[in-house]
Amino acid sequence: MRAERAAGAATPALQERPRALPRAASRRRWALALVYGFLLTYLAFVLFPLVWLLLSSLKTRADALALPPRIIFTPTFEAYEKLFTAGILMPFGNSMFVGFTNIATALVLGVPAAYALARMQGGAKQQLSFWVLSTRMAPAFGVIVPIYALMRTLGLLDTRFSVTLAHLSFNLPFAIWLLMRYFEDLPVELEEAALVDGASRWGALRHAVLPVSAPMLVAVAILVFVASWNEFILAFILTSAEARTVPVLVASLAGTMAFDWPLMSAVSAGAMVPALLLVFVVQRHITRGLTLGAIQ
Amino acid sequence: MAVGVRQRWERATMLAPGLLALAGVTLFPGIYLLYMSVMGWTAFSPVVRFAGVDNFRTLLRSASFWEAAGTTLLFVTLSTGLSLLLGLALALALNEDLRGRGAMRTLLTLPLIVPPVVAGFGWKFLLSSDVGVIGAFLLPLAGIRVAPMGDPQLAMASVVLADIWSKTSFMFLITLAGLQAIPPFLYEAARIDGAGFWAQLRLITLPLLKGVLIIAVILRVLDAINTFDVIFVMTQGGPGTATATFSILGWKIGFTYFDLGQAAALAVLMMVGAVFATNVLIRRTRLAG
Repeated sequence: MRAERAAGAATPALQERPRALPRAASRRRWALALVYGFLLTYLAFVLFPLVWLLLSSLKTRADALALPPRIIFTPTFEAYEKLFTAGILMPFGNSMFVGFTNIATALVLGVPAAYALARMQGGAKQQLSFWVLSTRMAPAFGVIVPIYALMRTLGLLDTRFSVTLAHLSFNLPFAIWLLMRYFEDLPVELEEAALVDGASRWGALRHAVLPVSAPMLVAVAILVFVASWNEFILAFILTSAEARTVPVLVASLAGTMAFDWPLMSAVSAGAMVPALLLVFVVQRHITRGLTLGAIQ
Repeated sequence: MAVGVRQRWERATMLAPGLLALAGVTLFPGIYLLYMSVMGWTAFSPVVRFAGVDNFRTLLRSASFWEAAGTTLLFVTLSTGLSLLLGLALALALNEDLRGRGAMRTLLTLPLIVPPVVAGFGWKFLLSSDVGVIGAFLLPLAGIRVAPMGDPQLAMASVVLADIWSKTSFMFLITLAGLQAIPPFLYEAARIDGAGFWAQLRLITLPLLKGVLIIAVILRVLDAINTFDVIFVMTQGGPGTATATFSILGWKIGFTYFDLGQAAALAVLMMVGAVFATNVLIRRTRLAG
């Protein structure tokens, strides 16, 4: 990354000066200590709840509730076994289904539309940008009220289909927009060669554009999946039993169960697994996709 | 011309499926929402009648609406303000050439992909005055005996804390990307002129970062107005109505009292408010610059 390399040179305050006075050097050391202190404090704030959830998920109920908290304990996979035996795995299947269906739909419908828009000039693109921004302004329950009424009438409440459809209301515009900005930046020469050879626009897309776009498609797919996996209010209102997603399960356990903390923590830990995998495997894509969506 | 016709036809076949689906999942619910907001519409009665502005009038005259307005304003201001400051500070620090920078950046992006519901549950668990390691152990150890979820102000502080935990990463990532786009030679020139850290921040970094920060704040404000998950999991809007923002109120009206018409009206008002707030933010910041 170009910016990555430049960042080293861009350090405004902490750069070593060749002939710094002793006083300046000590001030610099203090500043550095302050910066590290702040960063480490904030990191502790970020990591503490996550580590605590993971630890709690490996405790017995008695250990989890013990105060002062037991830092050293015999880990047990009881809570995770309960996940399988208590029949609460279904929400994980539902979330997977909704997430992957969203990826497939958003890409299959979004890629051609985004590509065509990227090769158009002027007004349509601006209107689409506004459209996308306006979907971000829409309160989630502004979307859920009409979709709920519709699904009720159609008798589709508590189905995976209704959740999938509801999630597309934010994933589809997001995917189209990200892909459009990406295709705009691709060099046109790539596809022009194909077009001159007599290929159609579809052919150019398939043989010239898509092969080089794989990293971006992966990034968009991940963002779509995570958005769907984490979404709560739409799934919460549309489902009651059969089609509950993972966040709905977490919320219902947090609200009603006689506080089986290890089980709750195990569910929460399970809810974080895809996210954790994605961050460590494809962190670069995620960062790029997220900031791309916000800044450009 | 044959070529022109063929190209236009191809373009249409590419655009149509995506844009039709887009209209189906965004435009249609929007129009249907407007329709519902002027109808008397409860989920249990089969009779749907035209209600005109009744839904809006009832809403604007209810105390709970204005209470929720104040709560939303407080929540949005605290959450946006604090996550902006923290995100900016983190980005400035991690734009420096520090040891462990890459690892710290990665760890800081974690909360962004943790489901907000899990973030809310995690903090509720930690802060609980019955079983939480903070609420039932560390705070009492420090001589503070409180029930964070039972006290109106502490409950607000708790949901803001969890929301900041969940959303500061976003502010951090955007700000960092903005910082990396500032050409380094500007700082070199400033240093030669003897500008210190604060002068560089005020004269170079903040002015050049302004555009990015405005976008970040707008997105964050819109997001905070619509926050539901964290609040719902932690307090369900309570105690009383202490943390009942518009989203929580809308859920109550629509899905516990099942007055969908009034819920639709509230959604319309929120939408208008969001557009208004965005415009004010854009205009204010333009005038200021």
